[in-house]
Amino acid sequence: MSVILKADNIVKHFYEPEKFQVLKGISFEVNQGEFLALVGKSGCGKSTLMYVLSTMDTDYEGSLIIKDTVLTNKSQNQLASFRNENIGFVFQFHYLLPEFSALENVMIPALKLKRLSRTEIEEKAYRNLEMLGLKEQALKKVTKLSGGQQQRVAIARALINDPAIIMGDEPTGNLDTINTQIVFDIFRELAQERKQTIIAVTHDDDFAKNCDRIIEMKDGQIVR
Amino acid sequence: MLSSINNRISQVHLTTDVKQTIVAMLGVTFGISMYIFMTGFMSGVNDTQADLAFSALAHVRIYNDGPTDHSNIAQKIYPNDLVNVRNAKVIKYTDGIKNSAAILATLAKQKNLTGFTSQVNISVFFKNAGNKVNGTVSGVDVIGEDKVYGCAKHIIQGNWSELKYRSDGIFVGVELARVLGLKMNDNVNILTSDGISRNYKVIGIFRTDVLSVDKSKAYIAINAARQLLGVNQDYVTDIQIDMEDYNNTQPLIDNIKSIIPYKVESWQMGNQQLVAGSSLRDTIARAVSLTILLVAGFGIYNIMNMTINQKIREIAILKAMGFSGGDVTKIFLTQAIIIGILGGCVGMVLGYIISRLVNNVKFEIAGMHHLPMTYYPHNYLLAFVFGLITTFVAGYLPAHKASKIDPVSILRG
Repeated sequence: MSVILKADNIVKHFYEPEKFQVLKGISFEVNQGEFLALVGKSGCGKSTLMYVLSTMDTDYEGSLIIKDTVLTNKSQNQLASFRNENIGFVFQFHYLLPEFSALENVMIPALKLKRLSRTEIEEKAYRNLEMLGLKEQALKKVTKLSGGQQQRVAIARALINDPAIIMGDEPTGNLDTINTQIVFDIFRELAQERKQTIIAVTHDDDFAKNCDRIIEMKDGQIVR
Repeated sequence: MLSSINNRISQVHLTTDVKQTIVAMLGVTFGISMYIFMTGFMSGVNDTQADLAFSALAHVRIYNDGPTDHSNIAQKIYPNDLVNVRNAKVIKYTDGIKNSAAILATLAKQKNLTGFTSQVNISVFFKNAGNKVNGTVSGVDVIGEDKVYGCAKHIIQGNWSELKYRSDGIFVGVELARVLGLKMNDNVNILTSDGISRNYKVIGIFRTDVLSVDKSKAYIAINAARQLLGVNQDYVTDIQIDMEDYNNTQPLIDNIKSIIPYKVESWQMGNQQLVAGSSLRDTIARAVSLTILLVAGFGIYNIMNMTINQKIREIAILKAMGFSGGDVTKIFLTQAIIIGILGGCVGMVLGYIISRLVNNVKFEIAGMHHLPMTYYPHNYLLAFVFGLITTFVAGYLPAHKASKIDPVSILRG
């Protein structure tokens, strides 16, 4: 098993309202195809850590390596195109673009990447939606879909560029039991069959229990 | 690339809230149409003003300005001493232009002239029965005068070309005719400052709509005027020149000033108030139009800012998915530019329509029938370009702000 993500001694401060150390030297590695849950109480720094790992937050000390690429101190534009190709996101509040159809929402990251032609991207987006049981909803505006459906559209979108890592910030936080189970099963399948790495921040103990590994944080440090 | 994802997103943003897009567009439309209307109207007013002014004024005039003051030559030799010449006089040795044929030949060689004509202008008293009015009688080259001043179109009674054959004929201004009680074929007596008196027959009446001219001016044939003064065939008092571009008289003056021993004066030098009036109107038109465009620009700025605040979460999402700051700027700037182009095109059409409507408003003063208006294409182009620049700036500031949005702070909520 190869190491896909390596965090080394990550330290982060918040400066508002007063200087406060959120992450106190965090180091860990994640293997390819691992399904990882990041748990801990509110305010322990798990979301903060995930945003650092996602490359969106660049204001930290320490170093971050994903897919053998050192991402610390890269420019915002370089990080943006790295995210586009290698990282998929699923958020608690699905965050789709409300003016677009489900299909277009799924296609957008791929249209940005431009690795495939438009028709190929469209086919692939259809396949992803079909896999998530949303083929019928493809051409509907996302605002017309239910919460569970929207979350699945967000997952389909996260998958479109076959990213090495899929990150979720409470990906099931807003869903009922049935939909949580569906999302969990999808993640599980992705990790096992496609060897994609999943890192999910969660409050849901059942969800965490079934993952490959749990990293528990407390007061900015890893305790387990 | 029209099909790029950035453009697709801009397009969706514009077409989702059509109302808001139209409001932003109307801002530009209004600005540009007002700009077009204002400049068209102002240049129409200036052109009319020029037409009125140049019905009695040539673009360049050559005349004898009187001698230089040489009455105290001794002072120049003894600058440090007090020299007093008693009862000194400035004596005018020459009157009018003597070698007019040579000057006319020089003028014929100049470029950018549309015409020139010679005149013999005489200050006189017009007398009819008991009435006496002072004024000017102009001895004119009938064809040349019409070419420079367009006299024929001001004639309300009689036939201008008849003057050429009638050495006893005179054309009088309409007000002058009224004051003296003159009608067609009446006789009018003219008395010069040298005491020469002669009768002429009224063969025509003109109206220039410049009151001071209509009240005090009359035309006779140039040879009749020379006869009246008892001077030779070469004598003229003024040479009047018309140019292709009346705003560009300086090159001609520079050209001929040194070879003509008389005063060469452009209309600008002689009529500073006209120049000032016309450039003040231009300045006002520009200031008003630019203010309107600026206000339209603020409108776009506000709407773009609002859009960006509404879409702040989407912008964060786009960035999370790998869109760079440059992509975000492009997406919003494209929207602003499309608003600018659409608003500009509609604005040009609307500006034209407003101009047409105003052009039809009746305005019957000083020989005009409708409010004046011009339709110069370069004004339309300029308005469009200004409109685009305004939208570009007004769109760039919010778009740039959008590109700086930190996705983490938005997505964490």
